[in-house]
Amino acid sequence: MIIRVKFNKKNYLKYISHLDLMRLFQRSFNRANIPVKYSKGFNPQPKFSIGAPLSLGIESEEEYMDIDLEYMPVAEFIDRMNRVLPEDIQIISGKYLKREESLNSIIAWSNYEIQFKTDHRKSKEEINKVIDNWLLHEKIMITKIRKKKGKEIEKEINIRPFIGNVIVKDVNNNITISVLLKTGSNGNLNPMDFVNVLNRDCELNIDMDTISIKRLALYAEKGDELYKPL
Amino acid sequence: MINTKVLDKILNKVEKPARYIGMEQNSIKKDLNKVKVKFAFSFPDIYDVGMSHLGLHILYNLINEEEDFACERVFSPWLDMEEEMRKENLPLFTLESKEEVKNFDFLGFTLQYEMSYTNILNILDLADIPLLSKDRKEEDPLVIAGGPCAYNPEPIADFIDFFVIGEGEEVTLEILHLYKKHKEEKGTRDEFLEKVATIEGVYVPKFYDIVYNDDNTIKEMIPISPKVPKVIKKRMIKDLNSMFSPEKMIVPFIETIHDRVVLEIFRGCTRGCRFCQAGMIYRPVREKSIDRLVELAEKLIESTGYENISLSSLSSCDYSELYLLISKLMERFEEKKVGVSLPSLRLDSFIIDILNEIEKVRKTGLTFAPEAGSQRLRDVINKGVTEDDLINTVTKVFKEGWSSIKLYFMIGLPTETDEDVLGIKDLAYKVKDIFFSLPKEERKGNLKITASASCFVPKPFTPFQWVGQDSIDEFHRKAHLLKNSIRDKKITFNYHDPKLSYLEAIIARGDRRISKLILRAWEKGCKFDGWSEHFKYDKWIEAMEELNIDGDFYALRTRDFDEVLPWDFIDPLVSKKYLIREFKKSLEGETTGDCREGCRGCGIVDCVMRGEK
Repeated sequence: MIIRVKFNKKNYLKYISHLDLMRLFQRSFNRANIPVKYSKGFNPQPKFSIGAPLSLGIESEEEYMDIDLEYMPVAEFIDRMNRVLPEDIQIISGKYLKREESLNSIIAWSNYEIQFKTDHRKSKEEINKVIDNWLLHEKIMITKIRKKKGKEIEKEINIRPFIGNVIVKDVNNNITISVLLKTGSNGNLNPMDFVNVLNRDCELNIDMDTISIKRLALYAEKGDELYKPL
Repeated sequence: MINTKVLDKILNKVEKPARYIGMEQNSIKKDLNKVKVKFAFSFPDIYDVGMSHLGLHILYNLINEEEDFACERVFSPWLDMEEEMRKENLPLFTLESKEEVKNFDFLGFTLQYEMSYTNILNILDLADIPLLSKDRKEEDPLVIAGGPCAYNPEPIADFIDFFVIGEGEEVTLEILHLYKKHKEEKGTRDEFLEKVATIEGVYVPKFYDIVYNDDNTIKEMIPISPKVPKVIKKRMIKDLNSMFSPEKMIVPFIETIHDRVVLEIFRGCTRGCRFCQAGMIYRPVREKSIDRLVELAEKLIESTGYENISLSSLSSCDYSELYLLISKLMERFEEKKVGVSLPSLRLDSFIIDILNEIEKVRKTGLTFAPEAGSQRLRDVINKGVTEDDLINTVTKVFKEGWSSIKLYFMIGLPTETDEDVLGIKDLAYKVKDIFFSLPKEERKGNLKITASASCFVPKPFTPFQWVGQDSIDEFHRKAHLLKNSIRDKKITFNYHDPKLSYLEAIIARGDRRISKLILRAWEKGCKFDGWSEHFKYDKWIEAMEELNIDGDFYALRTRDFDEVLPWDFIDPLVSKKYLIREFKKSLEGETTGDCREGCRGCGIVDCVMRGEK
């Protein structure tokens, strides 16, 4: 049976990579005696997957993981896991899936909260206006460098379709904005790329050393409607 | 605590930031305001390397088990991190409490290889602790060191306040308890050094003067106080079963060299290879019982969630009931899918049966260390392996389905001739012939033989401690001779940088004057010398020229038996008489059998092999 759980990743643990996180969970299943199913073959691996890998250095309130296991009550699963997991990575809720639908096939959007300092003294309204005008453009181009067979290939991409709502939440002390960015196999925009292009086009003079990013939620998409995977 | 805002800012800029955050499973963070003695344990290399060191896990848990003591870790920051720290003026901190290393009572280094010594200076500098012992003030931490390289402490005697010689499980706690009492009595730094110098195994360099002869050799070492011992006797644990053994290991977030439970099955080695320092200084051999090992393995698997247990020792195949131990472990952990592995292999065909048992599915590469190419030279170094052993084992290995073999050798061993060097090639070709002599249907996979040669570095407390090393040119000549003779696509030959081995030889057998060289090299930017891409040979040579230090004097010179060696004041329990006897036998090509077959009279009294003839 497949259980889907929601977990968070906070504080210093934002500095562990996706691969490290996978290994952490694998060892935690062992320590918590979770009856996880293993793949067949020469090198059996526990069957679990984490949706939409988080970039290094970004905190998250809501991440998702599917685990294939022999049935055990959800509450017991959460309790046993949280006892062995670090304080800053904890499982929040869980549910057995009725219909198998992989996380990576459904996740489409991330909601990030981005904070930074700037030397601009603009009001919330002014910044909102600058950003709204910017988003009126049909195309926002960035240059992505990809490595192919050792060669670096530059590619121009229009990221406008990957940007959803952008809301300026606060301008005291730090500027805090909330943004919806496309995430997953059907288009993906890294929040750092977003900040860089925002800084480039909106002349915000962002102090790059002060940027802190947190993922608040992940969403799946059905038609025009967004919903949470759990 | 350091400024964590600044830390956060720089962690976003460096590679593998998880190296610097601590918080791993089984790491221990105490309230530093509530403990009486704060100990910062340092492995002077990056986190990924240091965390694979078993000694760290032992001492970390040992110290932290005491309520009044706290042990926290500190490693060398990698170059990118160091650059950011210096730019932001962020002092070096411990991983657990993010506390400045400077605010600890002790900073203890483990000395695993000589080429990490510049990293020690770099760590002191980043921690804002005076580099020289004589410049430290009351408020500075006591900088101490132990580990195998401490058997010749002299090359870093200027930097270290005191050394601990031998095994640390008992003496570390004795030192910390003494310090706790001393701190309560509000004693001075010097008073503490005087007291600690009377603990067996402790060496305080400042209490000894060295007098030199005109030819630069040592005339004598004079204790300047009647209270300190003339000879420092190594510490040794008598019974490994009742000794403290960790039941937990810190589980790193990032992948390290050994991503598994390391189960130490015994200490010491009975083989008596004449080049091997570990084989001499860790004597006598002492095993943990099977019951104790199964008990520890259970606790370690439980506390870590690891899926593999590595049976660790100097020569794990020599454990007296290896087969029984492995079957018990496999039986116990079968259900949990926990595997068992052996890190070092001897050329014994019975081992292949065991390997077959434990590596049921994956036949990954195997590594063997014949060390020398010819039988004559293997007898000289007392590597008790014959060509028949190798042939039998390799034949079996190929039949069982392995096809990737690594062979480790040394070049520059005493008495070595070109014929011996070319013996390496002959051996590699023989291995190849064995593979192709099997009927086609019995061969599995693609044959790949890698022959690696390292350059021999004579080490203190081995029968070869008096021997002059080959020159860099000679190493190159031999390596090229070999490289040019190997012309086969199936065989890859590589060799270590002779320049690095030359420096290692200078430091390994250096005296107190070498401290100045290490300091000067560090000032010139040397660090991470053990990492070939960061080793700056030219800077070292420059430093030697400026200081008028003759590297050849230390590396290439053959010593007389009656010369006072810089490490002579340390008693490793193995007698000098034995080392001389072994050296003389080596020149005759005479071998010495394994101690398990009868005592060889190395001088150790408390040894189970004695009397068991």
